[in-house]
Amino acid sequence: MDWRQLWEISSTPDNVPIVALLPLVVFYCWLAWKQARANDALIAQLEADPALAKTHHRKTYPWQPGWQKEIHVWPFLLRVEFLAAIIVTIILMVWSITLNAPMEEPANPNLTMNPAKAPWYFLGLQEMLVYFDPWIAGVVMPTLIIIGLMAIPYIDTNPLGSGYYTWKQRKFSISTFFFGFIVLWVSMIIIGTFIRGPGWLWFWPGQTWDHNKIVYEVNRDLPDLFGLTTQPLKGIFGLLAVGAYFVIGGLGLHTLFKRYNPKDYARMSFLQYNTMMFLMLLMVSLPLKIAIRLLFHIKYVWVTPWFNV
Amino acid sequence: MAEQLPPQDDPVTSKSLALPYLIATVLLLGTLLWAIYDENWGTRPWKGFQTEFKDRYETFLKSVKSRSASAEKDLMASSDYQALQADYDRISADVKPKVDEINKEVNKVNQDIGIVQTAFVDARAHVSADTYDLETTVSDKGRENKKKELDAYKAKKQFTIELPDKGKLGPLDYNELEQLYLGLKDQKARLVAQIADITKPQKDAQVKMSQYLADNMVDLSPGALDNLRKANRDWDPKIVQINVNAANLVDRCESCHMGARQPIEITPAAMMAKGKKPDAYALAFVSHPERQLLALHDPEKFGCAPCHGGNGRATSSVEKAHGNYEHWLYPLWKKENVDAGCQTCHAADRVLAAPGGPELGKTIDLGKDMFRNRGCNGCHRYEGYDKEPEDVVFFRQQMKQLESQQKDNLHQAAILTKKGDTAGDNTEANAYYQQAENLRVENSVLAGKIEQFDLQMRSALHDMKKIGPNLKDIRAKLNKNWIPVWLKKPTDFRPGTKMPNFRLDDQDIKAISAYLWQSALTDSVPKAKSGDAGHGKELLETRGCLACHSIGEGSGEQGGTFAANLSRLGEKANLDYIARWVHNPRLRLRPYCPYEKKDLGPEDYAKKGLPYVFDEDHSICPNDGHQLQYQQMTVMPILRLSESDAADVATFLMSQKKKDPADYPDAPYMDDARLKDLGRAKIRQYGCAGCHEINGFEDEGRIGTELTQEGSKPIERLDFALLTEEAKRGGPNPVLNQKVSQNIGPWYGGKYPSNAKEVGPWYDTKGFFERKLLVPNLFDYDIEGRVKVKKAEEYLRMPDPHLTDEQRNAIVTMLLGSQDPTVPADYRYQPRGTDKDIQEGWWIVKKYNCMGCHQFVPGQPTVLMGMTRYQDPDWKEQLPPKLLTEGARVDPVWLMKFLRNPALSDTDTNRNGVRPYLKVHMPTFFLSDNELRKLVRFFQALSQQPMPYIPQKDERLTAKEMEMGRSLFSSAAAPCLKCHATGDPNHDRTATAPNFLMAKERLKPGWMERWITDPQAISPGTSMPSGLFHKQGEQMVFSGPIPPAFEGYTGDHTKLLVRYMMQLTPDEQRRVAAMMGRAPAPSGAKPNPSEKKTTGKASPGALRAPKPAIPPAASGASR
Repeated sequence: MDWRQLWEISSTPDNVPIVALLPLVVFYCWLAWKQARANDALIAQLEADPALAKTHHRKTYPWQPGWQKEIHVWPFLLRVEFLAAIIVTIILMVWSITLNAPMEEPANPNLTMNPAKAPWYFLGLQEMLVYFDPWIAGVVMPTLIIIGLMAIPYIDTNPLGSGYYTWKQRKFSISTFFFGFIVLWVSMIIIGTFIRGPGWLWFWPGQTWDHNKIVYEVNRDLPDLFGLTTQPLKGIFGLLAVGAYFVIGGLGLHTLFKRYNPKDYARMSFLQYNTMMFLMLLMVSLPLKIAIRLLFHIKYVWVTPWFNV
Repeated sequence: MAEQLPPQDDPVTSKSLALPYLIATVLLLGTLLWAIYDENWGTRPWKGFQTEFKDRYETFLKSVKSRSASAEKDLMASSDYQALQADYDRISADVKPKVDEINKEVNKVNQDIGIVQTAFVDARAHVSADTYDLETTVSDKGRENKKKELDAYKAKKQFTIELPDKGKLGPLDYNELEQLYLGLKDQKARLVAQIADITKPQKDAQVKMSQYLADNMVDLSPGALDNLRKANRDWDPKIVQINVNAANLVDRCESCHMGARQPIEITPAAMMAKGKKPDAYALAFVSHPERQLLALHDPEKFGCAPCHGGNGRATSSVEKAHGNYEHWLYPLWKKENVDAGCQTCHAADRVLAAPGGPELGKTIDLGKDMFRNRGCNGCHRYEGYDKEPEDVVFFRQQMKQLESQQKDNLHQAAILTKKGDTAGDNTEANAYYQQAENLRVENSVLAGKIEQFDLQMRSALHDMKKIGPNLKDIRAKLNKNWIPVWLKKPTDFRPGTKMPNFRLDDQDIKAISAYLWQSALTDSVPKAKSGDAGHGKELLETRGCLACHSIGEGSGEQGGTFAANLSRLGEKANLDYIARWVHNPRLRLRPYCPYEKKDLGPEDYAKKGLPYVFDEDHSICPNDGHQLQYQQMTVMPILRLSESDAADVATFLMSQKKKDPADYPDAPYMDDARLKDLGRAKIRQYGCAGCHEINGFEDEGRIGTELTQEGSKPIERLDFALLTEEAKRGGPNPVLNQKVSQNIGPWYGGKYPSNAKEVGPWYDTKGFFERKLLVPNLFDYDIEGRVKVKKAEEYLRMPDPHLTDEQRNAIVTMLLGSQDPTVPADYRYQPRGTDKDIQEGWWIVKKYNCMGCHQFVPGQPTVLMGMTRYQDPDWKEQLPPKLLTEGARVDPVWLMKFLRNPALSDTDTNRNGVRPYLKVHMPTFFLSDNELRKLVRFFQALSQQPMPYIPQKDERLTAKEMEMGRSLFSSAAAPCLKCHATGDPNHDRTATAPNFLMAKERLKPGWMERWITDPQAISPGTSMPSGLFHKQGEQMVFSGPIPPAFEGYTGDHTKLLVRYMMQLTPDEQRRVAAMMGRAPAPSGAKPNPSEKKTTGKASPGALRAPKPAIPPAASGASR
């Protein structure tokens, strides 16, 4: 176990945010989960007791005599927010005093650093370069991610759960978020930061980042496994495979969604539903691609002269 | 959670946030203060440094002040100063009444001016305002009115002035008032000028006094110190920076190192805080230790970092500023490598340090010596070192190309001619013929080019030297069985050898020996007769051999390290070859033709019916007409020993052995033809041909990496291999690590550096170079001493150069400085004119080790000078001449002739041309024309002599002058011919100075004059007497009894004597010698030093420089 190596990676000023991210993400997930559970309990109570529902406004605590039904933003909200602002200011100031921007040597076009890493928030994207063409990983995917995020309000037809934490009312949205953000985005950043060493090779935490490390790995394209080596065949096979994924995956997802989310399904228009399905399938394809690349050494599924997927 | 009992009070409205607010506010204020501190001091540590400097400097200046005040007092008490003071006082007393009188007058005038001024200024303001009005009025009428008004004002007699001494004046009009005012002003100016005139001598005297103080104060004067103190007290912390836009240079070093350029010398002791040891502050605040160097390299142009390394821009911490962090490529040089900074701009200089001067530059010079003399450049290319091998290859390629072009042209011409012959009409035919003609003409142009290349080739072949001996000769030279023993580990046989230790296994050794033996030339050398070893020993020790070679081992070793140690030569070589070598080391067994790449034999010459002769005049290959390598590629000169002398030396050398050559184990495998291929591969692998001439490897390139810019290689490009992590983190020193040293094998036993077992991180160029030079194959191992897994021929090949710590550090310094400089190219030292001649000359001086015998610059030691033999006063005179002012002394044309043939004779070669009395002989270096030219220019430039030298026309002496000259020349007080050689063998046996007859051609008259006037100033310790002449008025006169012929002569005696010498004829000299009746005087004469003990007659006193017969003072008094 090379503790020094671990310390070196985690103490780099660049990596401090991502180190802080680890406990913070866990903490806030736990906090949100706790509040969601309390709200869910209250919702169950109110649903069972219509009388209480009439008098109850404040969410988790049942209303008490002597309590105001509504309270003002000023001062009761703002004083807490202001406190938070002070604390954030303190953190930012201490941070800016203690950790300087990491200035490195004057740029030398003849010598690139190894590993050459993006800023921490882009390391997820950089990690995607291992699995996709630069054009796909660097342009198409980020664009689709942004479009998808923009589309969410238009796809989301669930009127419940607005302004409070709840799990029962928004099971689908929350699990999708957890999958997309925590499992995919954050974990890819963590891989990019802590796992990828010189040569963008895979180093488990505690392994020394040895510049001389050499690994033997042969990555094949999926069509090669089926003995398809000539171009039109490879392209057609890939198209079929990707098409099959969308059709079969789409059907499977459709069945599951209809069974577990009948209300949402009923509320959604044809366009909304198909957009959601497309984005979902795309999102799921990412971990699938990672898995077949890392576990089965399959580089591309769909190989064409213009792009590879 | 819903089951929880709700609190009675609404927590959102009732809970007080006072405490969290208090804590948050306190923290916020705290961070705010922290931020202010950080902004002002935390990230600006230089402010603290400056405050500290101010305090300590103030204390220091105070102490200096008292010292300098007392020094000034002492000075003022001195008689010189007192005299000046008296002068001043006298003049002051003279002047004072006059000045007082004038001053009185000035006061009066001043009073008057004061009174008139009040009225005049008021009136002038009035007039000016009116004039302005008049000028700006538009209408003509208005203008007229205004003019009238103004004139009326000016004409009106309205000013009444009352002066104390002149009474009431006026009423005056405006013009009169103005006259009065200006008149008074003039009067005052005149008076003041008068005062200045009168007090001028007084002021001059005062200036003399203060000048005397300034000239004689060692430190600053109290006044200057006061100014310094004031400047120091008024100093506000601020960034001090040197900003040179052209060089993209911003150096803020002096923001902390504030003492660097203070006008007063600051030592660490001076900057100590009271009662404490010198701390880091004290060390950082000192003056720059090399003021002279700073004067040459003005910091305002060069900054600091280009020489010292480090990050001149950084101000946030000491580490950053010194560049001691991973992201700065050029950290501040460590103290022991400080010379590396010189190399960045002075890479083209072979010699940097002024001998006898400061230490600075010596390390880098040693590094360059080592790099060349240990043959590093045999494997590693380095710009400036030995580019001849590459030139030879280049010239050959060019010539081959031109020749094939010639052939093509001829062929083409033939085709065109044929076409012309068969052409339809005349015009067409003529066009073809013309083209063919053109091609043939072009061929003659090409022939000219080829000839030029051939000439350059000749020079390159001539100048090309190998650091190791020619291995084509080993069959003729070596004891066959000795070769494998030597290859095993050269240092075991000869500890100080240049040959590095290759890590060869037995198979390698056998194969290499076999290849060398079988590929060597089989020609034999003529038999030599065994001679007189005693005479040989004497020759070896006195002829000058030991300026380069050493003999004896351990503490008994004496001589130079430039060439091989000759003890144990008897075990390896044979008499015939050594005798031939000593007689003429440049003699080859066979000439080598670089064009054909072949050693030529008699058969090649016979084919063309030519005699088998190859030397400077017969350097053309009989087969192809190109230049041959007709001499051994050694720097060893020809000592011009007779064959029997050479045999004597060889006999002595052959007697130098520890064991019988026959005792070496038999090595029959050396004749095994099967080993030859492996041997060839191994020789290629280890790059043996970098230093040796080996059959089949004449064009072998260098096998190592180029080092010209090794110091600026990014650290990632240096292969730390399995030790990378160790280097980055520090820890057990791999060189000292027991496990490693066990596995590294017997090569480096016990020869570890003196540094600690545990080392800090050494992941930098210095760490790499140091370890690489200490254990060149270290990076084949990991920290556990396990060897890397690779093919046998892929292991690191660099041999162990067995360097001392000092030598290693010198090479490391050189490599560190071998950079692509960060400053612009014109910052590098690329001199023109005489400076360039000096720069180029040093390369040749160093190449042939001229400094082994001669002193070129004051203070420079020579090898011979340091030997025990030459400590004896008798032998001291036997040292080779100092060349301190050689360029001013000799005529360059003569020098060229002398360097070409130091015997200055084609028949009698076993002698010195200039100083036949010296046992040490100037050998014939057989320099190429190119090198001769550079050397002559070097000598001229070193003495600031213009080139070309045009001798002055010398007026013939009149009969009278001739007589005067002769009388001086033969004067009993300065009997020139007593010591100077005359060419009479009887006399010359005891002479200690050159023959005058040579002067005409050899010397420059100006130098001769300086020399006879004060030889000690030119060559300290010379036996030529000083004080022969002294100055009398404007005339240089002889200090001895002046011969009567000089009655009434007003010219310089020195000039006359020089002219006489320059016009001296052999006849005249003989006559004078006869007149002086000089026969070889047995008693007072200087005996041959080596005979001294046997004759036992000469007392050291008799050998000393003859004192001038009469000291100058005494002679002056007698007249």
